Amino acid sequence: MQHPVLWIHGEALGPANPALQTFPDRPAVFVFDTELLGGRSPTSSDPANTLGEPVSLKRIGFLYECLLELPVTLRRGDVAAEVLAFAQRHGADGVVTSEATDPRFSRIAERIAAGLPLEVLPVPPFIPDGDGQAFDLGRFGRYWRRAAPLVWQAWQAEP
Amino acid sequence: MRTAIPAGVNADPPIHGVPLGWESAPGDLPREFAGRGAQAQALRGLFPEAPGNLSPVRGGRSAALPLLEQIRPDRYAKSRNFLDGAVTRLSPYIRHGVLTLVEVRDAVLHRTRERGSSEKLINELGWRDYWQRLWRQLGEGIWDDQEPLKTGHDPESYDTELPLDIAAGRTGLACMDGFIAELHSTGWLHNHARMWLAAYLVHWRRIRWQVGAAWFLRHLLDGDPASNNLSWQWVASCFSHKPYFFNRANLERYSGGAFCHACPLNREGCPLEGSYEELEARLFRPMPAVRSGGDGRQLRRQAGRGGNASALSRPARPQARPR
Repeated sequence: MQHPVLWIHGEALGPANPALQTFPDRPAVFVFDTELLGGRSPTSSDPANTLGEPVSLKRIGFLYECLLELPVTLRRGDVAAEVLAFAQRHGADGVVTSEATDPRFSRIAERIAAGLPLEVLPVPPFIPDGDGQAFDLGRFGRYWRRAAPLVWQAWQAEP
Repeated sequence: MRTAIPAGVNADPPIHGVPLGWESAPGDLPREFAGRGAQAQALRGLFPEAPGNLSPVRGGRSAALPLLEQIRPDRYAKSRNFLDGAVTRLSPYIRHGVLTLVEVRDAVLHRTRERGSSEKLINELGWRDYWQRLWRQLGEGIWDDQEPLKTGHDPESYDTELPLDIAAGRTGLACMDGFIAELHSTGWLHNHARMWLAAYLVHWRRIRWQVGAAWFLRHLLDGDPASNNLSWQWVASCFSHKPYFFNRANLERYSGGAFCHACPLNREGCPLEGSYEELEARLFRPMPAVRSGGDGRQLRRQAGRGGNASALSRPARPQARPR
């Protein structure tokens, strides 16, 4: 990928965003997801309730203030369609973004990847240097018994 | 608390986004505003569906860094359950990656001289990571009950709509109305206030946790279905081994008496008043397993909810096991 554009999503609105770190000079876009903000997505509303209510202006304003501090074009509408149109306007040969937890991210990413090559950059994990095995999430205590020593190792390593 | 604005200082300065190194296109949203009032007006035009106003809590790295600087892990550990305790207020910035969990972890570890003093805060960051991992595993299933309720009530008996008095913040309880007003105007609530409000909705008002969770998601700046929904499920008892509830004395203590003295229900009779045993008998029905268990162990556990446990906003040893 020689001339990508960057897709910035709502879980990475800071300068540590790996896409912004890796390609600081490439055009970047954030799309206000009107379906999600309208309360028509499991990210914002119970999928069993077809009458989801919209997200308040407080949240939109908060996101907006985060985004004004980043070099990023702001759009609203259908995220995948807007990202692909942005890429086309900039003659991009691909899209770069960063990992996200929200399952909605994966569905949007699939639609973008159907139009252009998509690279998803990893985000540094909270638990450093795991042993590669999946954590048992059955209960917090079990997860934390394995995770806590790994977190505290970093502290012990400090001079 | 409002501070007076000195003469000659513009109370509503212009807002400039960082400049872009490329041309804008039709349909791009504005990155310049004459002031915050103008920004609010513009956003109302762009997002006509979205109710309410802007939050006094500002977004962005410039707002987040001073909070990161102010973290006091030792004071956090001692005072976090009090509404005026030394909590970090970083959750909206972590939720949206303005600060990463790794950055916050490293900031805490960097200023830790003695492990014990930071253990609690690091542990809470761990909860955030844990909820995120569960969201990845559960997907949309995060809206389903993870286990049966332990309240003794039929799941169908819970209300499927948010009652009007709650939506309007006019329940008549000074504490709950105060929390609702803060949620609606700022989009942020102290964790203990979230737990009290959630327990009031689910147990006193018998409303489905999903209704409350969706309401919170519409308003919270840090709302995501991971921490939010799973905490509601913990309160409701479908992600823990017993329901979370509290009493008036607990709320009065951890709110520093901010609500009860001026509350009309103080004289008329507060629904939160009572010992834990009394409230348990009033709010829940005996579970069949407890009634017929016979060995007494579960009965003891049910009755053993003391003042200490009630101060916790999460179980010390959660028994939850998601499906």
